[in-house]
Amino acid sequence: MVPKLLTPEQKESRMNICADILNNTDTDPDLLDTVTLKGTRFESVEAVKAKVTEVLNQLTEADFQLLSAMEKSYGAVAKSSTADAMATNRSGTAQRPNGSAQGKICQFKLVLLGESAVGKSSLVLRFVKGQFHEYQESTIGAAFLTQTICLDDTTVKFEIWDTAGQERYHSLAPMYYRGAQAAIVVYDITNQDTFGRAKTWVKELQRQASPNIVIALAGNKQDLANKRMVEYEEAQTYADEHGLLFMETSAKTAVNVNEIFLAIGREIEEAEPRTYPRTSSRRPGGSGQGRRLAEGDTGAKAAGNCCK
Amino acid sequence: MAKSTYSKVDEYGFKRPDDFNYEMYDNFMSQYMRVLIRRAQRWSTLKGDAYKKSGTLKRFVRKGIPGDRRTTAWMHISGAEDLKKTNPVNYAYLTKQIDNQQIIETIRIDLPRTFPDNIFFPIDERLPAMLYNVLAAFAHQNKDVGYCQGLNYIAGLLLLATKDEEASFWLLKALVERILPQYYVATMTGLLTDLDVLDELVLKHEPLVHRHIHNIGMPWAMGTTKWFVCLYAEVLPTETVFRIWDCLFYEGSKIIFRVALALIKLHKQEILRTSELGELIGCFKNMRNHETVINCHKFMQEVFKLSGNLSNSQIEKLRRKHKK
Repeated sequence: MVPKLLTPEQKESRMNICADILNNTDTDPDLLDTVTLKGTRFESVEAVKAKVTEVLNQLTEADFQLLSAMEKSYGAVAKSSTADAMATNRSGTAQRPNGSAQGKICQFKLVLLGESAVGKSSLVLRFVKGQFHEYQESTIGAAFLTQTICLDDTTVKFEIWDTAGQERYHSLAPMYYRGAQAAIVVYDITNQDTFGRAKTWVKELQRQASPNIVIALAGNKQDLANKRMVEYEEAQTYADEHGLLFMETSAKTAVNVNEIFLAIGREIEEAEPRTYPRTSSRRPGGSGQGRRLAEGDTGAKAAGNCCK
Repeated sequence: MAKSTYSKVDEYGFKRPDDFNYEMYDNFMSQYMRVLIRRAQRWSTLKGDAYKKSGTLKRFVRKGIPGDRRTTAWMHISGAEDLKKTNPVNYAYLTKQIDNQQIIETIRIDLPRTFPDNIFFPIDERLPAMLYNVLAAFAHQNKDVGYCQGLNYIAGLLLLATKDEEASFWLLKALVERILPQYYVATMTGLLTDLDVLDELVLKHEPLVHRHIHNIGMPWAMGTTKWFVCLYAEVLPTETVFRIWDCLFYEGSKIIFRVALALIKLHKQEILRTSELGELIGCFKNMRNHETVINCHKFMQEVFKLSGNLSNSQIEKLRRKHKK
């Protein structure tokens, strides 16, 4: 049944046919009525199934190992099991309290938004690695980091999406805040324009992101308070009016950096019904990832469901 | 061979990673030195109008332009030399037109944030000044683009390769205005289109990878925006980037996709073994450390070994299909 010697090309071609079939059935079952795969035309679902069976029968041991490893990883993702969450807690900064077998595991998607050079990447670097670089390289596109912290009896893993600040990268932003449970909108207290831009972001998030998204406003570069252009009270009033968490932070001196992430964690926790897992960042079957998204559509359902 | 043979900083002033594999690098360099010598000899045999498009020149470019010829060769094969000759005003004039405070401020903020770890940028004070001139002159003469983050890395590497401010300006202009699609305009539509084109190409060439990446939920923009916007600067080792640029200048923007597919193919098993977003992103970030990626000569062979239609006309067809 399993042929002994497949050339790498043959193996590749079979795997690709498999993947093609799986892809097509995933995205559009109707396609199966008459479907052309790798130049072969199939007239019925049965014919496709027969082809899949044939291909599968010809896979080698190594292919099966690879496929089952992939299966496993999708399974783990789908289940988002405790074991999985614990296994990915590599940062080692947070320890779960002893004997808290009933402790919850949460995973949040958090996005950072704000004008260029206000300190988004620096806040993340401080929170995740405890470091600060006077000249942080400008972020192109986006960066992704994770950090796990402990909140009472809950282990919270933040998936942090750090975005580029320049106005023109705005068109990419929806794909980052889509499905986010939390956002930190950052401005620079020494620059009034960046506060205006922060308000624009808040407006956009409240209109287009998940309805339950927790938004925090961070007035960064608090260490430069002597050059302040945005008054604390002004920002606090704005935050109160719009239902935002608010802190002035300093990535440089670490003031309020952990605190703002913790406060977000608590806020989500409290708002949270104890329901089953997030699937926010996973959308199998979608095909146009580079596309601009008009609405925070599918993410809305997932947000607010992260603890278990 | 002793590890100390190689400096902790590469020839272009970039610090090597802490876990840099010097032994592997030494193996590669001992072969690559011979390649470089051979290429230098071969290039010296080019007679007459050396930079006229021809099969020979294309082959030569794919095998790598010798470092000391790069400035001249890039200027000719990219069309930058033409631009320079036909532009109504010269570079010196353009640098005197810099007056838009908003553009000036935006560029100034990014100067110390461009290659802060490169030893030439902070030490040699001329480089940040040259970078400023190139970026500001460019932004003022192209109002649709102005200054877009990412151009600083390209201009920075052009300066490190050419050590020539004016050539860097014309090369940047040729790239943005002639060679690349509309990546840098205010809406970045060219980038959004090319991300979709990449999605389609990966689906066609590496369906398993495509499926896996979609299942994990990584937008292509997350893993590959820099591939397009920075043309692999800040993504791959410097010498590999320059070898890619050799071909990009000669053959056009289709090269970006060839390189992308080659990278994905090389890392297929690693990608498929990841099980969550963090790991997957880590795998993309780590591509610069792959032995074949560091071995730029071998990497470029892989890039051109890819089968399937990746011609400019095919890429243009896909771009029209995914036009924003």
